[in-house]
Amino acid sequence: MPLLLAAVLLGVAVGFAPGTTAEQYLPWMPTLDVGFALRLDGLSLLFSLLVLVIGAGVLAYSARYLGTSGNHGSFYLLMTAFAAAMLLLVLADNLVVLFVAWEATTLCSFFLIARSGPKAREPAIRTLLVTAAGGLSLLAALAVIVVGTGTTGLSEALASPIWQESAGFSIAVAALLAGAAFTKSAQFPFQSWLPDSMVAITPVSAYLHAAAMVKAGIYLLLRFSPVLAGETVWMVLLISAGLTTALFGAIAALRRTDLKELLAYSTMSQLGLLVAMIGIGTPAALTTAVVHTVAHALFKSALFMLIGVIDKRAGTRDIRELAGLRLRMPVTATVLGLAAASMAGIPLLLGFVSKELMFAAFLETPGPGWVPVLVTALGAATAVLTFAYSGRIVLGAFSGRNGNTVREASAPFYSVPALGAIAGLAPGIAPFVLDGLVSDAASATAGEAVQAELVLWHGLNPALAISAVVLSVGTMLVLARRRVDTVLAPVRFPFSGLAIVDALRSVVVRFGATVGELAGSRAPRYHLAVPMICVSAIALIAVFTVDSLPPIVGSPAEPLDWTLVALVLVGVVAAVRAQTRIAAIVVIGVVGFAMTLWYFVLGAADVALTQLLVEILTVCVMVLLLRRLPARFGKQPLRNRIPAGIIAIGAGLATAAGVWALTGRREMSEAASFFVREGETATGGSNIVNTILVDFRAMDTLGELTVLGVAGIAVAALLHSRHPTAVRSAHLDRGTPLADARANSVFVRTTTRLLGPVIVALSLLLLLRGHYEPGGGFIAALIGGAGFTLLYLAAPTDSAARVRWPYLTLIGAGIVISAGTGYLGYLEGSFLTPLHVEILGIKLTSALLFDIGVYSSVIGIVLAAFNLLGRRHRILHDDDQPPASKEVSYR
Amino acid sequence: MTVAITAGVLVAGAVYLFLKREMLRVILGFVLLGHAGNMILMAAGGTSRRAEPFGTPEEPATVADPLPQAFVLTAIVIAFSITIFMLVLSATGTENDDTTDGANDPANGPTDSADGTSQPRPARHGARTEEHP
Repeated sequence: MPLLLAAVLLGVAVGFAPGTTAEQYLPWMPTLDVGFALRLDGLSLLFSLLVLVIGAGVLAYSARYLGTSGNHGSFYLLMTAFAAAMLLLVLADNLVVLFVAWEATTLCSFFLIARSGPKAREPAIRTLLVTAAGGLSLLAALAVIVVGTGTTGLSEALASPIWQESAGFSIAVAALLAGAAFTKSAQFPFQSWLPDSMVAITPVSAYLHAAAMVKAGIYLLLRFSPVLAGETVWMVLLISAGLTTALFGAIAALRRTDLKELLAYSTMSQLGLLVAMIGIGTPAALTTAVVHTVAHALFKSALFMLIGVIDKRAGTRDIRELAGLRLRMPVTATVLGLAAASMAGIPLLLGFVSKELMFAAFLETPGPGWVPVLVTALGAATAVLTFAYSGRIVLGAFSGRNGNTVREASAPFYSVPALGAIAGLAPGIAPFVLDGLVSDAASATAGEAVQAELVLWHGLNPALAISAVVLSVGTMLVLARRRVDTVLAPVRFPFSGLAIVDALRSVVVRFGATVGELAGSRAPRYHLAVPMICVSAIALIAVFTVDSLPPIVGSPAEPLDWTLVALVLVGVVAAVRAQTRIAAIVVIGVVGFAMTLWYFVLGAADVALTQLLVEILTVCVMVLLLRRLPARFGKQPLRNRIPAGIIAIGAGLATAAGVWALTGRREMSEAASFFVREGETATGGSNIVNTILVDFRAMDTLGELTVLGVAGIAVAALLHSRHPTAVRSAHLDRGTPLADARANSVFVRTTTRLLGPVIVALSLLLLLRGHYEPGGGFIAALIGGAGFTLLYLAAPTDSAARVRWPYLTLIGAGIVISAGTGYLGYLEGSFLTPLHVEILGIKLTSALLFDIGVYSSVIGIVLAAFNLLGRRHRILHDDDQPPASKEVSYR
Repeated sequence: MTVAITAGVLVAGAVYLFLKREMLRVILGFVLLGHAGNMILMAAGGTSRRAEPFGTPEEPATVADPLPQAFVLTAIVIAFSITIFMLVLSATGTENDDTTDGANDPANGPTDSADGTSQPRPARHGARTEEHP
């Protein structure tokens, strides 16, 4: 109903100002020159009216067709969305908007077909594939247009002189647009989806075939006709594809017994005629195309809906089964006859007017002398067949003389299609009522003013003669329809379009699988190897292509460095060669401590402290893990180790060369010099690294805290939801002192009792002084964490390890404190601006508060690791059985 | 030069460990790679100036670049948390920490994965059973 209302409004609005255009513009993506531009000219108006009026009719009919039972909400939603998308398509004055609307119609039709039942799935997918391919073609065409004309506006692009100047441009666009329109309007060779989509329910088919979807292709062709008409590629493509489709569609329609399928092929055929007319491109042909579009929309929607009525009443729509029934449906029969007659082009109906015009236009096809003859002959042949299958519909539906009687449907059911059919009658008798509408549309299409004068009687001319021949031959075919059936029945097309679509689809799927297999391994090592090989390859290319580098600044290496290099080398080699897990962890520690020394040597005290503490904690966590894993690594065969070694050495060389070539060749960066010069004055802190962390780049640190928090929560979630691997047997001789944990941990426990308070104090001290001396939230927290680790290690049993702080709360609190400190910064400017207050002579800064947040989070994650990994059993979930433990229990 | 060599050695070790089957070795590889990344960051600030950046230095030409230090400091802590996470992954679910060789590896069959993607399976008998009595 709203659609109808909109149509009326539109009609009234334009009725007051015929021949003008209305425009509406809303900025959408201004930087890309994309606006939500709408433009209403004659062509858009005509199509809008079709979309809205037919849409309203189909929806009104659907209410009856579907009934009140069942859930049809999604149908109405999709149909309305479909209508909206079509409306947007025909009104769009921006290429991007046009494309979006085009794709929207594709998706809506996909969903409408797909929701029609389980059998509809495959046809829906095929429809989507074909039309989406056309969408890509349209995208390419539009991209070429935008690049060529430099604008995304549709009317501006059409006004660009490039269409005349650049032949290549026009040819490319013509071919791509034709591809897009052919898929949408089911033209050869993309025709197969249309009959296939007949699984959809009747209202969907009616709308799809009469006003939406397939007409989108026609609209696109008409829209670009002003600039492309006369282009040879355009003409050849459109005329040949159009006529081929028209003829084959008509032949195929004659062979169908399912009335709905028959109609589907007839749509193909009629669209073929339309496409051919647009291809001819003369003003007369374009006027004809416009008139025929209207005529087709009216009779085709009526036909579909009437077949739906018959289907509902009789329970079948197959001619063979209908022959066994007696249909007593006088109104339906009359209206069906009327609509079919319009399709067949019988005088006094709009179909006749358009057919007359069509023959006149075909006879004037530009080109060599044989072209108009051939085109007209093919057109006439199609018209004859059209006549024949129109007769087949009516006679097929109502030829049954015996069997069960099927009574007439109720009036509301057939009233809508009846209106459509009668609407084809009125302008058939008095065609001039359409003059204004058609003239405007044709003018917009032809690019020049066209005054259409539609008349019923054209006088004695060749077109009339052809019509007469068509009518008489058509009548003969109808009369001899049994014989026609027997002739056509054995005709088989050598291949089916659907099979081709399916074959293409499976090829694409297989190709995708092949490509996916290359990267789809579940083995991490294959994934990890690829980037490294690429890095080596890049380095190799760089060796040959980079010629000169800036000179190295200063002396980047000092004698002591070589000791550290040796230390790292020893550690790495040992780690690589380690055969047991514990050995690997220990020698990794060697590397870590060597790194600590490196940082000290490079003047990074804070970093070195952090590294040292992290190393200790990492080793502790790893040790906790060891008891759950086998002692030894597996042996890998030599054929695996050699390629690994080669890749590793390549990556190593690439790294070394890259670092050597790309670093140490400039003075200190501007930002760094600023921090060194101004850091202390700006923040009051003398530890520049710490001021960078908590003052200058606190946002980075906040982000990092969040990462820490997420990791902590992930660890907790993982261990709470899954069983850790069982703890392995220790195989201790009961005689050794090691067997009694309480006895052998006396020493550590005593030490801890002394060290514990010291560690806590040290940790707090480092936290407080971090702004001025080496220290800060990270280091302090890691020391605190080390303290807890000691407590943990000193405990004789799992359950005696008494650190049960709420680690998740700690992590969360840390992040909240840090973020909250950031909001404090709004008092003086922006997020995370540090505040400085002096209370009782002590300088305080909000950065300290921020550091406390850091402290809390880091402590939280350390505790999480130890508490979760250290326990033998899982902690939460009372309903879970603990995993069977293989550990020897202490006695 | 020395920093570059260090980074190279670390990366070589890391990559070699990546290509091993056991998750623990892969994690150790990541630890080494983290060291290498930090080394590269330090190198990016230049390694010819090595005085510690404290206060307002009188001779800024000798002071080490503080910016990479701050980056490395956060990087170390992040690497720590990620390492813990990976360690937990390696210890959940299956009987050992072997990563899978991929489904297309007929020689090994579908091995258990310790990367947290597959369900625990009963103990298998094969090449690696001698590791745990």
